[in-house]
Amino acid sequence: MRKSQRRRLSAVLRYVVLSLWTLVAFFPIYWMVSTSFKPDTQWFSWPPVYFPDPPTLSNYLNVWFGAEEYTTTQYSISSQKPFISLGNSTVIASISTFLAVLFGSVIAYGVSRYRILSEVRMFQLLMLRMIPPIVVVAPLSLYYSAIGLLDTMTGLIMIYFITSLPYAVWMMKSFIDEVPREIEQAAEILGASRWRTVFEIVLPLVRSGLVATFLFILILTWSEYLLALIITKTQVSTLPIELSKYQGSTEGRVYGRQAALAVGITIPLMIAGLIIRKHLARGFSFGMVRR
Amino acid sequence: MARIELCNLTKSFGAVVAVKTLNITIEDGEFVVFVGPSGCGKTTTLRMIAGFEDPTSGEIRIGDRVVNDLEPRDRGLGMVFQTHALFPHKTIRQNIEFGLRMKKVPPAERAQRVREVAEMVHISHLLDKMPAQCSGGETQRVALARTLVTNPSTFLLDEPLSSLDAKLRRELRAECDRLHEALKRTFIYVTHDQEEAMTLADRIVVMRAGEIVQTGSPMEIYSNPVNYFVADFFGSPSMNLVAGEVLQESSASRFRSARFEVALPKHFRTAKPGATTLGIRPEHVAVTRDGKGDVELPVRLVEPLGKDTLLYFDSGTERAFVAVTEGLDMADIKVGERIALSLDQRRIYLFDDKGQRIGNAK
Repeated sequence: MRKSQRRRLSAVLRYVVLSLWTLVAFFPIYWMVSTSFKPDTQWFSWPPVYFPDPPTLSNYLNVWFGAEEYTTTQYSISSQKPFISLGNSTVIASISTFLAVLFGSVIAYGVSRYRILSEVRMFQLLMLRMIPPIVVVAPLSLYYSAIGLLDTMTGLIMIYFITSLPYAVWMMKSFIDEVPREIEQAAEILGASRWRTVFEIVLPLVRSGLVATFLFILILTWSEYLLALIITKTQVSTLPIELSKYQGSTEGRVYGRQAALAVGITIPLMIAGLIIRKHLARGFSFGMVRR
Repeated sequence: MARIELCNLTKSFGAVVAVKTLNITIEDGEFVVFVGPSGCGKTTTLRMIAGFEDPTSGEIRIGDRVVNDLEPRDRGLGMVFQTHALFPHKTIRQNIEFGLRMKKVPPAERAQRVREVAEMVHISHLLDKMPAQCSGGETQRVALARTLVTNPSTFLLDEPLSSLDAKLRRELRAECDRLHEALKRTFIYVTHDQEEAMTLADRIVVMRAGEIVQTGSPMEIYSNPVNYFVADFFGSPSMNLVAGEVLQESSASRFRSARFEVALPKHFRTAKPGATTLGIRPEHVAVTRDGKGDVELPVRLVEPLGKDTLLYFDSGTERAFVAVTEGLDMADIKVGERIALSLDQRRIYLFDDKGQRIGNAK
């Protein structure tokens, strides 16, 4: 086989494998969107219905606006508050992510430039993330109840901030490491103070990394379930908790409604991703290409 | 006033001593080149002067002030980095005016000065481009302009031309020289390229293993190397260095190696007999085809370069014995042919078994 033929064949193979993988990755998303528009008779039907026939908005109206189209108890969900949960999730996820990225960046800068943490300490920091949440959640809820943080936004923000800090430090360190020290030194010898150098030189250069780290942690905190389930009760409910209510023992499996809620949960993240997609592509490929 | 004094300057990184008790005074307006192989401590020395490294001990004085505890920005220096270190997210104009902005120069004056230096280093057409859109030579000029515009008392240049190709290097070398002449400022230049050092410096500081081996004008360093290392480091092609021994006979001193034996000039009469290295530069070896010479060696390789021809002879060691002949007259010599060579007696160097120079070749 000639070299050009081999190259063409390998390109075709690559595209086939990638297309298959895209199909596998996107199918659940497609299924979620499709189910959210299906009438209840098609949720469980066999053979499966791929395209809702006819498509209906009733799941969305019911879940998000409380429109009761069905009166049988099978479909009534107890105390749904999706917009309140959406507000809670937005506040908790964005504040905890902001704090994690802010403190994580400062620590990462210190580690990258001044070695304030040894390699061992950095690994220990990452190990913090390796502890399964289920191990700490019981003692944590006791502790939280003693200091009055149970079922509060502050409590959830604090625990999300602490658990996502290691990611923020590790990711930001790799981005800051990529900025040549000489660029900072050039700014310093030209008369810039240390802080000025950080804000005017380093931060703009790691902007894409900051955005990528922010979105990564936002996704983690936005979709976190276990900690939210245990340390919140009735006052502070987040979207993943709300979502789980559609698969409870009393309500049964209300797939259409659940899918309609899930679409609503996913959309804010997708919008965020779209707005910052330019930075994301650069951020996630940072360091992979020699500049 | 930018007289720079380094007094007993030492820098250690853990157990590794990068710079050992360095003492040197660089006069105002001088162009000093620190040269040496990688890891000899030249860049560390420059970085200590700039303020990026704290000396382990010793003092750095700029003018009459000890500056050890001053931040880089308070030392009144300008630095051009090996990687040029332009700010990639700023335009060339913003890069150049950065230093002026930090010094709170009013915008109108800033614009004027940026224009002036851009003209000086021929980059006016690049001002609105981004660094990524510039070639290697252009970024080098921008880096120079960015330093020039702040009007520093001393320019520190850390291997600024090492990333450029040979032609650009020659061009920018001339540019550096021109700027030094025009500005009359102190230039401290670090390089591992002996040719750069020879062409640019008023004074060369040769470093090795954290210590100064020799300082002097380029001609002094070239003609009077203090030891084997300096003799070998300077010159292209480098000096012929042949290991052998000195024999003191009643009538004269002789040098003998595996392939040849030559009489030594009178000033080596006092040289101790024993293991010695003979050194002679390729341009001081005369090639004759009439068979009369001090030694006769077989040719290993002929390199016609156009203006000169390099002849490599087999001297019995791995390192060839090189002679330079003018033009292409000798280009037809065949490999393996035995050729007679005459060594210029006044230009023979001897180095003892520790590499130190013996006697004076005057």
